[in-house]
Amino acid sequence: MLPLEVDTLVKDYKGQRALDGVSLSIREGEIFALLGPNGAGKTTLIGAVCGLVKKTSGRITLFGVDADTGGRQARAQVGLVPQEINFDPFFSVRESLALQLGYYGRPKDPARIDEVLAALKLTEKANAPTRALSGGMKRRLLIGKALVHRPKLVFLDEPTAGVDVELRRDLWAYVQRLKKEGTTVVLTTHYLEEAEALADRVGIIAKGKLVLVDDKQALIQRLGERALKVTFQKPASDAPSVGVLSADRLTFTFVEKPSGPNCAEVLGLLYAKGLPIGDVAMQPATLEDVMLRVLENSRAGPEA
Amino acid sequence: MNSIGARTLLEKEVRRFLRVPGQTVLQPLISTSLYFIVFGYSLGGRGSVDGVPYLQFIVPGLVFLGLANNAFLNTSSSVFITKIQGTVVDLLVAPLGPLELLIGFVGGAMARGLLVGILTWLVAMVFTGFEVAHPLLTFVMLVLGAYVFAVLGLLAGVWAEKFEQINFFPTFLLLPLTFLGGVFYSVHTLPEPFRTLSQLNPVVHMVEGLRLGMLGVGSESTLGLVLLAAVAVGATALAWRLLDTGYKLKQ
Ligand SMILES: Nc1ncnc2c1ncn2[C@@H]1O[C@H](COP(=O)(O)OP(=O)(O)OP(=O)(O)O)[C@@H](O)[C@H]1O
Ligand SMILES: [Mg+2]
Repeated sequence: MLPLEVDTLVKDYKGQRALDGVSLSIREGEIFALLGPNGAGKTTLIGAVCGLVKKTSGRITLFGVDADTGGRQARAQVGLVPQEINFDPFFSVRESLALQLGYYGRPKDPARIDEVLAALKLTEKANAPTRALSGGMKRRLLIGKALVHRPKLVFLDEPTAGVDVELRRDLWAYVQRLKKEGTTVVLTTHYLEEAEALADRVGIIAKGKLVLVDDKQALIQRLGERALKVTFQKPASDAPSVGVLSADRLTFTFVEKPSGPNCAEVLGLLYAKGLPIGDVAMQPATLEDVMLRVLENSRAGPEA
Repeated sequence: MNSIGARTLLEKEVRRFLRVPGQTVLQPLISTSLYFIVFGYSLGGRGSVDGVPYLQFIVPGLVFLGLANNAFLNTSSSVFITKIQGTVVDLLVAPLGPLELLIGFVGGAMARGLLVGILTWLVAMVFTGFEVAHPLLTFVMLVLGAYVFAVLGLLAGVWAEKFEQINFFPTFLLLPLTFLGGVFYSVHTLPEPFRTLSQLNPVVHMVEGLRLGMLGVGSESTLGLVLLAAVAVGATALAWRLLDTGYKLKQ
């Protein structure tokens, strides 16, 4: 059973369309990265699924149940890390987690709370009031609150915004552990290397429309641009026309295209010509240039 | 029904006001005690109204005032703060429906209203001695009163977008209605047209109902009880609808 199916979802905010007919299925056990520029509709989409946003039209099915009719029961299996940090300054870290467990109808479970505290490195702060946490700690608490009831489907809306590099890596490892335990994860992020490191599939949303959904690897291979940069020891006399030779004839750059030769073939060509190769650098294709191209295309035409 | 969820929210609401007892319990207790001392002793300490000493006469009204105000304040401020802090997100995402939210918020507010009301009564007893004419009626009036004002507070908290708006109802409606509501005097002794006009004030009947229960004096009318029950039904239906549709809580 699919954890989530969204069918032609539309959301209008007083005259402004935030979601414009989004259809999307999330597969069990995958990590799905929802990417898109500011204001694209990521948070609105997640909000509609989690019951924070009233949809204008369309259909949302959670674990095979229509969210309009059986949403509350289905949502017991869902966890959300909201984009905006929210906390109740009256309560300690441990109490916040205990409350969350209770809201989801789960009996008291101090052992589970200890486990979550340890996993998110908050054990030392367990009894601190939430207002005494640093920004990064608050974000970790937010993640803890979303996970303490062991949801099967988790939404992470920019979980690593404002989090330091080391902690970000820790959180990545934690998300990967969740996946190993069978949790389905939908995350949004503006750090594309994060999506690249974690995601199985990627969806790109722009102006309320889902412009592309694909397997991450396939996407990068299909749309990514690998580049080859060769530096010569002395000015090169001649270079293959598939690439560009710099004015001083000391560097040669080639960008791989799906239709043309690949980097290895071009490098072979340079060797065959006996050019004085000094250094070879490869720039791998990244999700970032895929993103940029897709967004550029979606502005130019309706379909990427 | 998610009974653990409802209980968790209720416990949270109770802990929230118990964490600042000076503000939520002690302060209202002091202010009602001051009313008691000022109005009871220095102003009208001598005479008797409706056949009971004035000091005793004002007790039910003061109990009702403390009860209603605190029940109202607890839900209105808690719901409002939950919206402002964004913690309403936690409640909306979790499997908590109108029933669970009502039990949690209203139950917590009733606990505070009843606590203040009963403590006020206990303080008064030090001066007047212990006496309950109709225990069952008293009990029903107290519980229903706390319930009604807790639900009204919830409606105000949901509706309010600015902090001053949650004070709108207590300042402009509840306070005048209580002061004109026969807490400190018997409306039956008022000259016309005020005597008849007073009958339009629901608080008059609620206070009189409680006075009948506690002291066994005044009109034998059950209008206060009927009014409370009617407001309870109407306010609950409206609150249910707002919570169900997510009015001002969901975007
Ligand atoms: N409560 C609201 N009222 C009116 N418009 C809103 C509201 N919330 C969001 N919007 C609008 O809906 C659109 C989508 O917003 P959304 O928050 O979903 O974007 P996002 O993709 O999450 O962006 P970001 O990356 O900045 O978080 C934006 O144009 C935004 O201005
Ligand atoms: Mg967002």
